[in-house]
Amino acid sequence: MNIGTRKILDRSFTALGIGSIVVMAIALLIVLVPIITNGIGAVFFTGTVEHRKMLINEFKRGDTDKLAEEIASSDRYRSTVYKMLTGFEAELDRMPPEKKAEYKEKYSQVKPALQALLGPLPGDPEPMLTRFKYGQTRWEKAEEKLHDFLYESKWDNSNPNVMSKEYFVSRALGFEGTTLAQLFPYVKENIDHMLLPEFTVYWGFITDSSVDSHFFGGIWPEIQGTFFLAVGAMLFAFPLGVIAAVYFTEYAKPGFFNSMLRSANSTLAGVPSIVFGMFGLAFFINTLKVSESKSVIAGALTLAIMILPTIIRAAEEAILAVPKTYREASLSLGSTKWNTIATVILPAALPGILTGGVISLGRAAGETAPIIFTAAVSVGSAIGLADVFSSPTPALSWNIYNLASEHEAASQIRHVQYGMVLALVSIVLLLNLSAIVLRARISKKLKG
Amino acid sequence: MADDSVGGNNRTNAFVISARKRAIQKVSKTMGEGMLLAVASFVAIVVLFIFYFVARDAVPFFQLRGFSEFFTSSNWYPADQPGQFGALAIIYGSLMVTLGSAMIAVPMGVAAAICLSDILPFSIRQYAKPVIEMLAAIPSVAFGFFALVVLAPLLQNNGGPMLMWAWWILVSPFLVLGVLVVSDLLTNSIKDPQRRRQLYAFLLTVLGLIAVFLLYKVGTLLYGIQILTGTNALNVSIILSFMALPTIVSVSEDALQAVGRDIREGSYALGATRAETIIKTILPAASSGILAAVILGIMRALGETMVVWMASGNSSHSPEPWFNYLEAIRTLTATIAGDMGEADQVTGSARYHVLFAMGLLLLVISFISNLVSERIVVRQRKILSGQ
Repeated sequence: MNIGTRKILDRSFTALGIGSIVVMAIALLIVLVPIITNGIGAVFFTGTVEHRKMLINEFKRGDTDKLAEEIASSDRYRSTVYKMLTGFEAELDRMPPEKKAEYKEKYSQVKPALQALLGPLPGDPEPMLTRFKYGQTRWEKAEEKLHDFLYESKWDNSNPNVMSKEYFVSRALGFEGTTLAQLFPYVKENIDHMLLPEFTVYWGFITDSSVDSHFFGGIWPEIQGTFFLAVGAMLFAFPLGVIAAVYFTEYAKPGFFNSMLRSANSTLAGVPSIVFGMFGLAFFINTLKVSESKSVIAGALTLAIMILPTIIRAAEEAILAVPKTYREASLSLGSTKWNTIATVILPAALPGILTGGVISLGRAAGETAPIIFTAAVSVGSAIGLADVFSSPTPALSWNIYNLASEHEAASQIRHVQYGMVLALVSIVLLLNLSAIVLRARISKKLKG
Repeated sequence: MADDSVGGNNRTNAFVISARKRAIQKVSKTMGEGMLLAVASFVAIVVLFIFYFVARDAVPFFQLRGFSEFFTSSNWYPADQPGQFGALAIIYGSLMVTLGSAMIAVPMGVAAAICLSDILPFSIRQYAKPVIEMLAAIPSVAFGFFALVVLAPLLQNNGGPMLMWAWWILVSPFLVLGVLVVSDLLTNSIKDPQRRRQLYAFLLTVLGLIAVFLLYKVGTLLYGIQILTGTNALNVSIILSFMALPTIVSVSEDALQAVGRDIREGSYALGATRAETIIKTILPAASSGILAAVILGIMRALGETMVVWMASGNSSHSPEPWFNYLEAIRTLTATIAGDMGEADQVTGSARYHVLFAMGLLLLVISFISNLVSERIVVRQRKILSGQ
């Protein structure tokens, strides 16, 4: 090969390596940016008067007098809408039967669309579910519903070779010539008077419990559940892990038994997370019967087993990183081996051990598969500390799955899902970030 | 203060050795060490317990239904009466996403590891490492959510154009390089510089045109593809590859670092470029360590639950044709996670035990690959230190 080609190959090889790191960074950004931008939207958003109504009714929070004023002003505009509806209903009765049937069919779609936008109409029976008691609480959702109200969506199946396409037909055209035709431009123009959008900061998203399976309210039960599970797992795994690491680094003699223990450790680290879940179900719940069925304690024990190898490895590394001189100095002063470990080596290794612990805490908080069968429920309120031995808990990781994949109206509550994902990701990343910072400080300190 | 004096007493007494004290010391030392040993072997006991309890619930299935149906049939109707438990399509789905993610993650991961260990200066490496650590730290359910809510609709609505751009961006640099290298190699044997340059230019144009044609043709072909569902094997493979990457990068970086400086310097001294040094000297020396990294990374993809459960479509049929990554599939992990809720109601039924059979399969695969990768790493360390 001539030297030019070799040089080009060399350069492009470098480019390949740098490129793959750049791709990783971009992938990280692509995953994080939508989560962060949409997740923030769960707390900061443009709320409507319906949101403020909901806050006062469900959480007794907000300014009652101001709300009454707002409701009065929005009702002034809404009453025109209701009048138009009753006017059209009267007109419908006077129509010839075949025309009546045609319009009635179309009209039957208008009313639910309006209910979705503004909440129950006057004269409607009190809805059973809280989600139907209020109109759209978020302005961007209200705009979507307004579009649904103004346009009927239809599917174009004319070409069998391509996928059918969605297109929109104005509902106003369908009611041309009737009194209802004015309703559509009226609603379109006065929607902000009817819903009174206003920039809202809803910290309650973090501290409230959910109302009507996460249609309204916040995610406190999930945050608390995640906290209980992760901290519970740490309580079991951290002492065990550190003691095991002390054994491996200070006492273990090389040999068959020791290498077998090490193999066991790396095997445990490689077990798929779902298998931990099965083991937790089969052992802790069905065999040991630590609880009747799913419970926080069973989930915490399962998670503890899962993070044990990580803690052991981190603690081992931290202990091995303690300079040999520390040990020798302590031993030469006449202290026993155990004394040296407890008073010299462990304190010196503590920051490193804690780093591993913090990372494992993040892993325990983020893991889903082990708690599916052992600890997680999809709905439920926050549990007290006394209930951890008997009752299951909602948890961020599980509820993200549940809301995104199994919730009956998953696409309606995307903002809640994004908010939960952001909460989980920021908990885990903050823990990891603090570990990174901690480690940087240790390496600085060890360098002197 | 009282504590201090007690401690001081102990320390002075340690030198005054009475037979009784010595005996007590000895006993407490052995007891302490025994306790440490007990805690350390806890891990081994847990591993044994996991095997035992998963196998205990898996064996009844094989007793009830035998092995042949599970491994050879693709009829997965566990809810029927009587149920059919052919897991072939599900096992195949697992293999498919694992292979797909390995195809993306292995070249990228190895390239990134080489870059981190041999190419980048330390100041930049400091910032690259946290990126990889953050990628490893993001919970799997967040990746799954991203795959389901962001990536799946994108693939479904703009799948064709996205595939076309991916093909162009990924393949064109390699084609350009390939054209350069092939024309260089083909003209290498010609001695006359004049003729050689002419032939080189000729080959470059011809091969270049062929490459451009190939790019264009395949690109338009990909553009025409309509993806029926965004929750498919491709989506899952992409996401899983990014989850497997951190493992592959960090373990293979360790393997590359373990190859000593002297080997590198020897190669440079012989006039090799950096790329040649890496490819011809360092990679062969570190190959076993990299293999271990690949095995560990693949295991991460095979054992991952949430992403595949949320974004693979969960259809228990083999894709048609067998390499079609654009169809919904189903994996072992997702089946366990999804079916356990219903099967748990009837603990003891074949439907419950078949899930444990799947878990046992996963467990055995992960156990074997862990052992293999561990042996490989140990052997490499021995060989490298022996030199």
